[in-house]
Amino acid sequence: MIKPTCEDTFLLKKRNLKNRYFAYTFRPYTQVKKCKPGHFLQLQIPQTDIFFRRPFSIAGVTPAGDIEIIFKIFGKGTALLATLEKGDKVNLLGPLGVPFTLPKKNEKTILIAGGVGFPPLMYLAVEMIAKGYDPKSIEFFYGGRTTDDIIEKSRIKKLGVNFHPVTEDGSYGMKGLVTKPVEEFIQSSDTNMRIYSCGPTGMLKAADSLGLKYKIPGQLSLEAPMPCGVGICLGCVKEKTDGGHARVCCDGPVFEIGEIVL
Amino acid sequence: MKPDLKVKIAGVEFANPIMTASGCCGYGEELATMFPLSKLGALVTKSITLNPRLGHPPPRTAETTSGMLNAIGLANVGLETFITEKVPFLEKQPTKIIVNVAGSKLSEYVEVCSRLNDIDSIDMIELNISCPNVDEGGMEFGADPVMTEKSLKAVKNVFKRPIIAKLSPNVTSIVEIAKAAEQGGADAFSVINTLLGMAVDAETWQTKITNNKGGLSGPAIKPVALQMVNAVYSNSSLPIIGIGGIRSTEDVIEFLLCGATAVQIGTGLFVEPTLPVKIEKELLQYMKRKKTDSIYDLIGKVRKY
Repeated sequence: MIKPTCEDTFLLKKRNLKNRYFAYTFRPYTQVKKCKPGHFLQLQIPQTDIFFRRPFSIAGVTPAGDIEIIFKIFGKGTALLATLEKGDKVNLLGPLGVPFTLPKKNEKTILIAGGVGFPPLMYLAVEMIAKGYDPKSIEFFYGGRTTDDIIEKSRIKKLGVNFHPVTEDGSYGMKGLVTKPVEEFIQSSDTNMRIYSCGPTGMLKAADSLGLKYKIPGQLSLEAPMPCGVGICLGCVKEKTDGGHARVCCDGPVFEIGEIVL
Repeated sequence: MKPDLKVKIAGVEFANPIMTASGCCGYGEELATMFPLSKLGALVTKSITLNPRLGHPPPRTAETTSGMLNAIGLANVGLETFITEKVPFLEKQPTKIIVNVAGSKLSEYVEVCSRLNDIDSIDMIELNISCPNVDEGGMEFGADPVMTEKSLKAVKNVFKRPIIAKLSPNVTSIVEIAKAAEQGGADAFSVINTLLGMAVDAETWQTKITNNKGGLSGPAIKPVALQMVNAVYSNSSLPIIGIGGIRSTEDVIEFLLCGATAVQIGTGLFVEPTLPVKIEKELLQYMKRKKTDSIYDLIGKVRKY
């Protein structure tokens, strides 16, 4: 486990990707840069009336150790975060949580991303390729409502993975829900597979069911409102399928398929 | 000369007046990965009950203006697991250990305190007679002076080291309850537990936590806490541990000035888990600047109109 640290740093780079989506890069000085795909950060929104930090999954780390997050404006916290400018001070706490476990080399990797859940999966794909996995062994399914919800298309394509964008209105890629082409892919494939998914609860539920139905192992990265992020408040718990509660922040956010009641 | 941060409560000496608040640091394991617990005057554990409790179903916390509403529901591992799995870790920590005890029946409080009496590494018990989040207990003990006195007497019989009564702000007169606790044999007070509150979503018309009502904490409650600390201080000679919305060194000083001998940091840890380390350092700087040698030069020294 990497010890989480709390540090002041600054916004190194700000990109407005699409109307409500932003990519921020920070330069951390301590442990934070030792993060792995699946880890997340707790960011302090530099405004006094936002009391809690906000959790963000890590979208990538540059060779220099700079950390990227990608977020969408959802509420007051993210709206205020979006007003930060390059050079502004930010306090980071991280890396937090349990990261993804990499697949076996002979397994086909099925990434199922939904909306703003794609960053940790993109980071996972980048890490796998850097570790020598064949990009063509990675099936990157990415669903959104419209073409505006499929972010960083060219960046994902450049990885050389098999990219399968899906939109509900058909404005980009296949039309419908992302889990339908995933199921068709699973049915047509006869190799060992492993699923990784991050996105809205409905999609995670479908990914979980697919894993259980076709006996494919895998991991889901969950989201929950998170007062502390370090395991001490017990505010972010989810029900486990074998009884009891799991803390999303430190028992997760990455859980095995079938582990959590979704 | 370096100012002296040491304080004494009911004969127990603490390296500094900074403690964690119950329910905000688990059993210490997570915080210990972030800073050495020797930086704390004491660690106060999550409430321990006789039997394990899962707590309320999620969602059980909600962010509110300058604070947080929670109804975790006393989720804890229960007495047996606490003794076998958590105490061995706590025993090794270079800080004082205060175990917070809760129950739904007086006999449960007595049984838990009696078992804890056998564990020498537990320096004190903090009696939670003020949890607003479980229907069957906690607060009802601490809302009635007769029950308060009776509870304290009962646990004092079985636990031979000091007992702190954690008082509820959800009462007509906190002074009356404090006097009853003192009568029952309390050695100190923790002031205050959370304030009863509710949070609602205007769009969905839904309450934000499954228990519907919960305990409000965070900076929003600090003025309430300061007044109650000062009211108890003015009416009792027992030492007080001040709690409520501490997020900075200034906040700690305000509590000391109002009469607290020590303080507990709760919700503030969620935002800044290493806050106690920062406060310890800044408190020393403050004392040097104010030319005060001891924490006792600050306790109760508030200047009133």
